[in-house]
Amino acid sequence: MTGFLQQAITGLMVGSLYALVAAAVVLVYKSTHVVSLAHGQLVAFGALFFWLFLGGLGLPFWISLIPAFLLTALMGLLIERLALRPLIGQPLFAAFLMTFAIFTTLEGVFVLYLKGGSRSLPAFLPKGNLSLHGLSVPINQLIGFCAAVLLFAALSLVFKYTKVGLGMRATAEDHRLAQSSGIAVRSIFSYIWILSALVAAVGGIATANVMDVYYMLPYIGINGLIVAICGGLDSLLGAFVVGLLLGVVENVGAGYLDPLVGGGVKDVAAYVVLLLVLLLRPYGLFGLVRIERI
Amino acid sequence: MRPCGVFDKSYTQDMAIIRTWQHWVILLSALILLYLFPLFGSYYLISFMNLLAITVIVVLGLQIVSGYCGQISFGQAAFMAVGAYTSSVLTVKFGFPFWIALPVSGVMAGAIGIIGGAPSLRIKGFYLAMATIAIHFVVIWLILHLDITGSFKGLYPPSPSLGSFQFDTDERMYYIIMTVMIIMTYCARNLVRTKVGRAFVAIRDNDLAGQVMGVSLYYYKLLAFFVSCFYAGIAGSLWAHLITVVNSEQFTLLHALEYVGMLIIGGMGSIPGVFFGVLFIRILNEVVMFTSPVLAKAFPWLGVSPAAALGLTAFGLAVAVFLIFEPRGLAHRWEIFKASYRLYPFAY
Repeated sequence: MTGFLQQAITGLMVGSLYALVAAAVVLVYKSTHVVSLAHGQLVAFGALFFWLFLGGLGLPFWISLIPAFLLTALMGLLIERLALRPLIGQPLFAAFLMTFAIFTTLEGVFVLYLKGGSRSLPAFLPKGNLSLHGLSVPINQLIGFCAAVLLFAALSLVFKYTKVGLGMRATAEDHRLAQSSGIAVRSIFSYIWILSALVAAVGGIATANVMDVYYMLPYIGINGLIVAICGGLDSLLGAFVVGLLLGVVENVGAGYLDPLVGGGVKDVAAYVVLLLVLLLRPYGLFGLVRIERI
Repeated sequence: MRPCGVFDKSYTQDMAIIRTWQHWVILLSALILLYLFPLFGSYYLISFMNLLAITVIVVLGLQIVSGYCGQISFGQAAFMAVGAYTSSVLTVKFGFPFWIALPVSGVMAGAIGIIGGAPSLRIKGFYLAMATIAIHFVVIWLILHLDITGSFKGLYPPSPSLGSFQFDTDERMYYIIMTVMIIMTYCARNLVRTKVGRAFVAIRDNDLAGQVMGVSLYYYKLLAFFVSCFYAGIAGSLWAHLITVVNSEQFTLLHALEYVGMLIIGGMGSIPGVFFGVLFIRILNEVVMFTSPVLAKAFPWLGVSPAAALGLTAFGLAVAVFLIFEPRGLAHRWEIFKASYRLYPFAY
């Protein structure tokens, strides 16, 4: 039982990172109806920029957060302005393919920078474990988890109570209707990309804190996209719940199934879950059900 | 657009793909040149042509399922892996000759493709694209964890042989690969103008309307996946016996993304587009390969071997540029060019 709980807790910690990335994807989908593969790279570059200032220049933690966030937000803005805005009015699938083009472009830059190595962040969060009834939780992961929960709460509040949030919700409902009721839909698109780049950057920094800045980081973004789809592409709650769930499933599944099949369950669990969800509930666990004939 | 002064007097003429004697001359001389190429081409060019031809076969399959039937698949690299591994297992573990393993690996990949295409019956668009990405990872995972596929070490399939003649060099494999490519292109070009091809296009353009007109979505979607994966399997088998070593590193998600990129650049829904797209990306790759040492020398911060990374960036940028400025791909430009030279002195 302790083993199970320990794996579940580790899973929760990893899952919170997935949830953050998924939240970034959901934000973009909610208002622009673009499904983005590009967020994997925003995650990676968020972590990379943070490393540049923390590890590269040796700035203190709080100060290096600011330029890292600014640069990632700028990247999100540029992606929206240069790549996705020319595609407004084209089929949405073209935008999806565009995000995949962005993914490979930035993947090249990322690989070029890393040159096959990895960059480990200096410890900026307190090390050590919190023990509780024989279960141990690394404190730095716990802080990442708490950051994720707080960010989710903040996002929900922004969506619910601010004017920009209201504009975003209206844009998500119907672009033309929002435009004609005086909402600047195009600047909403820019805001949403900046916001989601910031969320992705937080996810990237929290992930790099656990496992360094290395070549697999962009693929965490693909896991985030899987979480977003499983949770329902327009549901923040879904992203949060399914993110945690997927982390737990991966870890517990690996713990119990690895001895049976000879390892590697962790690499494939997310994809199997995605296939199952797509076959059983294509609109996700918490998503808005659209009746559509296939 | 028909050339001036060429009139169709019978149904056969109307349906012909090659309609004037000039076409026949161009086609036949191109074929003869293709087969004589190893006599004067350098080793580098021949292996480049082999790679091109194999990629053309893969992307032809993708064109059928994505360009004609409208079901975007990011799983083509995995299905190619299925073909490569089937062929290798048959020749290495069971001692079958290459000539039997080649069609069997196509059918095997097609069969797996039907399973992989099953989600298309319930979902479409990017949901399907994500499902095929998932299938890619599941297939590669299975290949890595099954005993028969040699897991991480991979397999070493032999070169094909006919009697005592060994097809053990790139020049010799060239003839097999080109022949298969020509047959596959011929089949694809004709498949898309049969009843089956029209059903595919109906599903792509409006599946509901197609269904009302009596097109069975289940049958034709799965058929499209079967054909597409059959192509991938054949290409995988050729690839395995060309380089005589297969491992899972040769079939990554980035390869699958590259095939979709070739399709976008070439133009969806056009068989010549496949050739344009494959040529464009492969030549782009070669250009990057040759310029990157120069760049690395000029800009030391790029590192010693930036070729792979720069190739990815160039590829992504090319796809992005085509999506923005010419979403119909090079095939559309080619059509415009053909129309204009056929009308030449006149504007329209």
